[in-house]
Amino acid sequence: MAEVRLEGVSKYFGRFKALDGISFTVSPGEIFTLLGPSGCGKTTTLRVIAGFEIPEEGRVYIDGVDVTFKKPYERNTAMVFQNYALWPHMTVFDNIAYGLKVRGYSREEIRRRVNWALELLGLKGLENRYPLQLSGGQQQRVALARAIVVEPKVLLFDEPLSNLDAKLRVRVREEIVSLQRKLRITTIYVTHDQEEAMSISDRIAVMDRGRIIQVGTPWEIYSNPANLFVATFMGRSNVLEGVVVSRESDNLYVVDVRGLRIYGVSRDKLEKGDKVKVVIRNEDAELLEEDRRSPNVLEGRVVRTSLIGFAIQVRLLLDNGETINVYLKNKTSISEEERLRVYVSPEDVKVYKALETVEE
Amino acid sequence: MISQATRRITGFLAYQLDPPLVVLLLFSLTMFSAVLVVPLMVLLLRPAMSISLDVVRGLLSYPYVAWPPLGEWIIFVDRGDHTLIIVRFKDMGIILNTIMIAFSVTVIATIVGVLVALVTARYEFPGRSLLRIMALVPLLYTPFVNAFVAYKIFGDNGLLYHALLKLGMGYTIEVTYIAGVIVAQAMMFWPIVYLNTLAALLQIDPSLEEQAENMGARGFRLFRTVTLPLSLPGIAAGSGLVFIFSMEDLAAPIAFKVDRVVSREIVKAIVGSRDVAFLSIEVIVLAGLLLITALLWLTVVKQYVSLRQYAMVVRGGRWKPRVAKPGPLMYAIIYLVVFPIVIFSMLPQLGVIVYAFSESWVHVLPSGFTLDHFRELVRDPSVVNGLRNSLVYSTTATILIIIISTTIAYVASRVRFAGVGALDLLATSPLAIPGLSIALGLVILYSLGPFKDSLVDPFRNPAVLITLAYAIRKGPFTTRAVYAGLQQVHQALEEAGMNLGASRSRVLFTIVLPLIGLNVMAGAIVSFVYCMTEVSTSIVLGALNPEQAPVTYVIYEYVTAGYGGGAFIHLAAAIVTMTMALQILAITISNYILRFRYAFLGV
Ligand SMILES: Nc1ncnc2c1ncn2[C@@H]1O[C@H](COP(=O)(O)OP(=O)(O)O)[C@@H](O)[C@H]1O
Ligand SMILES: [Mg+2]
Repeated sequence: MAEVRLEGVSKYFGRFKALDGISFTVSPGEIFTLLGPSGCGKTTTLRVIAGFEIPEEGRVYIDGVDVTFKKPYERNTAMVFQNYALWPHMTVFDNIAYGLKVRGYSREEIRRRVNWALELLGLKGLENRYPLQLSGGQQQRVALARAIVVEPKVLLFDEPLSNLDAKLRVRVREEIVSLQRKLRITTIYVTHDQEEAMSISDRIAVMDRGRIIQVGTPWEIYSNPANLFVATFMGRSNVLEGVVVSRESDNLYVVDVRGLRIYGVSRDKLEKGDKVKVVIRNEDAELLEEDRRSPNVLEGRVVRTSLIGFAIQVRLLLDNGETINVYLKNKTSISEEERLRVYVSPEDVKVYKALETVEE
Repeated sequence: MISQATRRITGFLAYQLDPPLVVLLLFSLTMFSAVLVVPLMVLLLRPAMSISLDVVRGLLSYPYVAWPPLGEWIIFVDRGDHTLIIVRFKDMGIILNTIMIAFSVTVIATIVGVLVALVTARYEFPGRSLLRIMALVPLLYTPFVNAFVAYKIFGDNGLLYHALLKLGMGYTIEVTYIAGVIVAQAMMFWPIVYLNTLAALLQIDPSLEEQAENMGARGFRLFRTVTLPLSLPGIAAGSGLVFIFSMEDLAAPIAFKVDRVVSREIVKAIVGSRDVAFLSIEVIVLAGLLLITALLWLTVVKQYVSLRQYAMVVRGGRWKPRVAKPGPLMYAIIYLVVFPIVIFSMLPQLGVIVYAFSESWVHVLPSGFTLDHFRELVRDPSVVNGLRNSLVYSTTATILIIIISTTIAYVASRVRFAGVGALDLLATSPLAIPGLSIALGLVILYSLGPFKDSLVDPFRNPAVLITLAYAIRKGPFTTRAVYAGLQQVHQALEEAGMNLGASRSRVLFTIVLPLIGLNVMAGAIVSFVYCMTEVSTSIVLGALNPEQAPVTYVIYEYVTAGYGGGAFIHLAAAIVTMTMALQILAITISNYILRFRYAFLGV
């Protein structure tokens, strides 16, 4: 089990700064996920760790050894590529055996280890097939087998599920987690899908435009997003504009949103009169049956409803003119034009200083 | 303390280029320097040391420049019952003749080539596929003999002359001398413009044209404002090559008895010279001028397209190109203009076959079917010797080509580093550099100083230089095929190998080469065939020691000896028919493998 540490890594492509002072430490044996929108530098970070790119600034350590300038083939990382990168001219067996041959193992040893990997990933019987004769899920597992069979110090996954259909995706990601738990290889996983990230990771690093915005456990990131970007990136949410009315306690504020009083929490130090953004997750609203007038009760008319499986998504035109989307898990059906009241608990209302706008 | 920038660059280089790859690259670069760059530099620099005002003055007067021009443009001969019109053009001296011919040929070839390309790319009509195939026939390389057939067709006392006489219209025509060279070369070279233009047209995103049409541009206006500008790179590339090939051509001037052109002057100077000291400064300057023209063209084309892309262009369209039904006028143009031109241009190649299988072809029609010429080939010791030499040189050259082209193409397309663009240029430019200039540069460089009397001295042992020149000149066909293959190999396939611990060259040999092996083979087959038919360096270097001369030199000797139709021309035609069959075979195989239609067009 190896520790991976990046210190102030910056990478330029021409003038464009793809990575901007990336630092993080991956603990031995954990699954660490880089999460962020497309183009934020996740793949580039993996490639720096694998040695395909050498950063202009900063250092990369694997197991305490500075590998920043080492060749890719001297690092003992193993990458599972987005498109699997299986060699079409080699059989499944030869694909998996490649890294072992390079390492100079005996024929016997290669056979033994490849068999172990085939067994582990349920690929027995497919060893003489060519990659093009396999299904997407099987190809994925061959790529995984090829990576783990060399006993790498670090496993690197670059959006490994993006070429699979939705059903398979969930199954394969469970398989990846259980395999990783068994082998305990330090794993760095890249995805742009926050749900995927939350379900598999020990810790997540949220990236935006070449920077790490927040590192933490899935729960920390979900429950306490560091800024507006993270708050809106994790899950579906509504962003309302408002003004601070008063500070109630340590981090609890009252905000005025177009005449509506809303209590919410903030990580920022806010003053009365500050312009703020108020983030309310769709799933954090609950339907109020009784007629109760209190803060954080939002009242309005149903504009649109749509069933999304576990809940009903309701589009609500509030009395103050704002529109919000909420997921409601009630049993009775909700019809359009109906009037509704929903409640959001103050801990679920996140308030951020307005200058932290995400420019598009 | 080494800075991060330095460590970054060295670290990056170290993994991009591991020692075996560096060795291969150095070997390839050495070959290019030794056979291309240095000889050409010597060719350009040598006159600089000894050129004088007298030489310049000499080059501006007869026989280099004849002003006013000598002879007549057109002669009318009254023969009582009919008038003979002899179109011949005036002799303007070696330099001006060459330029005038090349310019005229380029203009004609460009007009015809663009016309045929437009028609086949944009219109759907019965016989289109046939037209596309027929248009490639003139590109079948039949050294010298096709030019003699052209002469037979419309030269002195030719088929055209007799046909018009038979019609009894009161006049008849011979196109001969310089005018004959122009027509013959135009017939030979327009398909080069055609192919390059066609490739460009097939590359144009149809939506661009549709957009313009949406805005109301139609017909010729659409062509002038959208289609033409977009296909200009292809047209420019093709036309430039025609200009260079025309200047370098020996066949048509020999067939039409034009002595005063640059190519013949160079060959005349070298054939029969026993020592490099006999080479006049004027001849070296002429070869230098050929070279400079080619380099200028390369610089211009480079503005448009990287030659690497250019290599890709031949793969044809990625999308379904727009085709239309022709209107009545277009039908008339297609069947009354385009088809006749294309069929006319095929005649030299067809005539070669007629020569090869006929007993004699002195009069209008050939007589007596025979296979004797082919039998004669295996008995004639100089042919057998020439064929054997060609096979040895071409095989050796092809092995070198496989090594050099694969290395250069791989490094140029995979290693991200400054200067890689130059590699690309180096690898593909020999196609456009006149072989006569290369040959002369080699003769000068390797007969001097330390090389004199060594293994590579061309006056003693031209075999070595011929082989090396083949490897450099005909390598681009393979380089191109390898480029095409590398485009298909996703970079992640290689990175996966390195990620699992394999070095760059191990990845090259275990992953890349198995995947592009067919491309390498397809390219190598084409390179091999074009080595077998190489003319310029074969003649110049072969003449220095006929024992070691390749078969193309033997053909050259036979056609110059058998001027106009003696037995020798039949023998030469038989050889050329065989090489033509070889070309068709190679092209078919490589196209089958590579699945692109124009892979072979050397140009
Ligand atoms: N080789 C490259 N050359 C130039 N720009 C690149 C290169 N690789 C990535 N980039 C740019 O760097 C940014 C980050 O890319 P990447 O790491 O692939 O993002 P992600 O994987 O998060 O989608 C993108 O804007 C991308 O266009
Ligand atoms: Mg990516």
